[in-house]
Amino acid sequence: MKRRDFLRIGSAGLAGSLLGGSGLLAWTPRASAATIDRTFYVTEGFITQIDGTDVYFRGFSSSPNGLNVPGEALIVQAGDTLRITIDNTLNVATSFVIDGVVDSGPIGPGQSRTITFTVDTPGSYLYHDGLNAPHNRLLGLHGGLAVMPSGSSNELYPGSPTFVQQYFWIFHDIDPAWHDRLRRGLQPNTAYTPRYFTLNGLSGRPPGAPGNGDPAIDSMHDPRSALHGSIGDRTLIRIMNAGLAAQSVHTHGNHMEWLTENGVIRPDVWEKDCLYLDGDKGALDVIYPFEVPPDSWPPARTGEYPMHLHSEMSQTAAGGYYMFGAITDIFFE
Amino acid sequence: MFDIHERKRPEMGMGGRRGGGGGGGGGMMGGCYIYDENQRPNDTLVTPDVTFRRSIYMNGSMTMDDGNTVTIWGFNDGGGGMMMGGPFPSPAMRVTQGQIVHTQLSVPMCCAHTIHHHGIEPGWESDGVGHISWDVSGTTYTYQWRPMHPGTYFYHCHTNTVLHAEMGMYGALIVDPPEGVGTLYSGGPTYDMEAFWVVDEIDSFWHTLGWTAGTCGADVGLNDLNPDYFIITGVDGARSAMNAPGIATTMQVGQKLLARYICAGYHPQRIHFGGLTGTIHISDGRVLPRPVQVTELRAHSGERYDIIFEPDTPGEYIISCEIRHWVTGEVLGTARTRITVE
Ligand SMILES: [Cu+2]
Ligand SMILES: [Cu+2]
Repeated sequence: MKRRDFLRIGSAGLAGSLLGGSGLLAWTPRASAATIDRTFYVTEGFITQIDGTDVYFRGFSSSPNGLNVPGEALIVQAGDTLRITIDNTLNVATSFVIDGVVDSGPIGPGQSRTITFTVDTPGSYLYHDGLNAPHNRLLGLHGGLAVMPSGSSNELYPGSPTFVQQYFWIFHDIDPAWHDRLRRGLQPNTAYTPRYFTLNGLSGRPPGAPGNGDPAIDSMHDPRSALHGSIGDRTLIRIMNAGLAAQSVHTHGNHMEWLTENGVIRPDVWEKDCLYLDGDKGALDVIYPFEVPPDSWPPARTGEYPMHLHSEMSQTAAGGYYMFGAITDIFFE
Repeated sequence: MFDIHERKRPEMGMGGRRGGGGGGGGGMMGGCYIYDENQRPNDTLVTPDVTFRRSIYMNGSMTMDDGNTVTIWGFNDGGGGMMMGGPFPSPAMRVTQGQIVHTQLSVPMCCAHTIHHHGIEPGWESDGVGHISWDVSGTTYTYQWRPMHPGTYFYHCHTNTVLHAEMGMYGALIVDPPEGVGTLYSGGPTYDMEAFWVVDEIDSFWHTLGWTAGTCGADVGLNDLNPDYFIITGVDGARSAMNAPGIATTMQVGQKLLARYICAGYHPQRIHFGGLTGTIHISDGRVLPRPVQVTELRAHSGERYDIIFEPDTPGEYIISCEIRHWVTGEVLGTARTRITVE
């Protein structure tokens, strides 16, 4: 056990996604398919919450000494072959699963295994540990995979509404009693009652709070989460729920164009300010259009707005701490 | 005047810019994350077409069908100081597309609140989000907005939202097209009558908390909503909503009823129309590219659906809305009303 021997989550993620150098997902299309190699170290550690509670997590980490929850976002294009090496540093088994695409099966303690597979269908996927479902995933073993249409830089699927930049919003909810039991190899014996709520592994640190404005601590300012754009910077957000609680994703400033639900393309694009995100691996793809907020007078071209979950329990931490939950900010620049 | 259940926690390590502790909090709120210290007038204001004035109350109550009462907070029509109690839900705002609207919110020194016009997308200084602008305390603040999309919205407090919206600080907000009441949107369908189904759940324990509970660092259980009452538009959905005017409806074959359904709770809901088929024309204040026919519908917190019913068969149709636990999906309770077709 590497108690407190971990990188604060987010700091490793900031090193960049698989092929991109910035906080949000950067992507340059290719004319032909490629083989993408990646190693994830399955690691464990404790992450200190705002109330001082140390909560046990496992992660698909980018280094053997790190702890990435979620794992770094991957972005590839349809037709690419992924060669994912899972280096399990734990003394328990793990697995690497993308539902409908690949399942490594159990990878034992101390083992390393390389899984090779091809992704054919553009879209947004959750990679996760499928063992003891949902337990290993809840402990933090999950991350996002974006599959772009081959040769495309601005579509979710061929012919989709277009965008100019893209993000992952991976939501999670955490019951520390479950994490503690699972750490000790025990089955949870209490009703699942989430107590911490995160977006891309971080939670809000509002003005005045320790860590406010620190992109490695504060989900409101984490460049993987906070939207930055000027008018017209249409932004794709790949929304995933690694936790168990159904959430309502709510944006201020603009409605979201709702493209998919749980991987299925919607028959029509609805514009919504709240979207129902299923618990237990629910998924949505939306475009935040960065239009002039339509009801502003005089018309506003700059400003700051929140994205928060309207299932408001998720805006708390440790039973209080409103605004220390799964929240980020949207910056019209 | 109020029970302040939370105590100061001045050693939370907050340096520099921080919430709370300002004069607006009456000096009681040091250490709590309330943002009343940077208040200033809205400098975008122009002459409005419509003005709403809202004060706040925090000593209202709602009597349930079982005879118990719970404390309710909300907004009153009119400015000035706090009043004894008030309507629940708060008074509706009804405006016409394209009007420039002012909402003047008056909050005494006691406490801090805001108004966020949910689904309306104004400038940031009119959005009512405390940590981005400020929480209103000891003053009157004017929000300015110009609604451009007809449909059903609601307004609610966005200070310590998890608690204040649960306590009842919300009201309906309707944007009519220029054609006025009776038309859903320009070029869209007409309707003869309206019903408001604002479905919410109440956790009686939460309704004993003070206004800063959840902002000062103490565990007050706001991660866990265990509702014991299930209400429709401020009326107990156990029995009373079955006959409450504006919620329950009696109509004739050939008439068109517009139901404005707002999911005002925090747990997901599933609403069944008791054998009727409705047509959704608008959701979240946006006309659907193609209307959708439904006999039931699921929704989550903050969603709105504008549904037209044109029943052709006389009868009594029970509208039932299940409130389901956000993790387990277990039905926690059901709120009911009816449509009687003659
Ligand atoms: Cu309030
Ligand atoms: Cu809202």
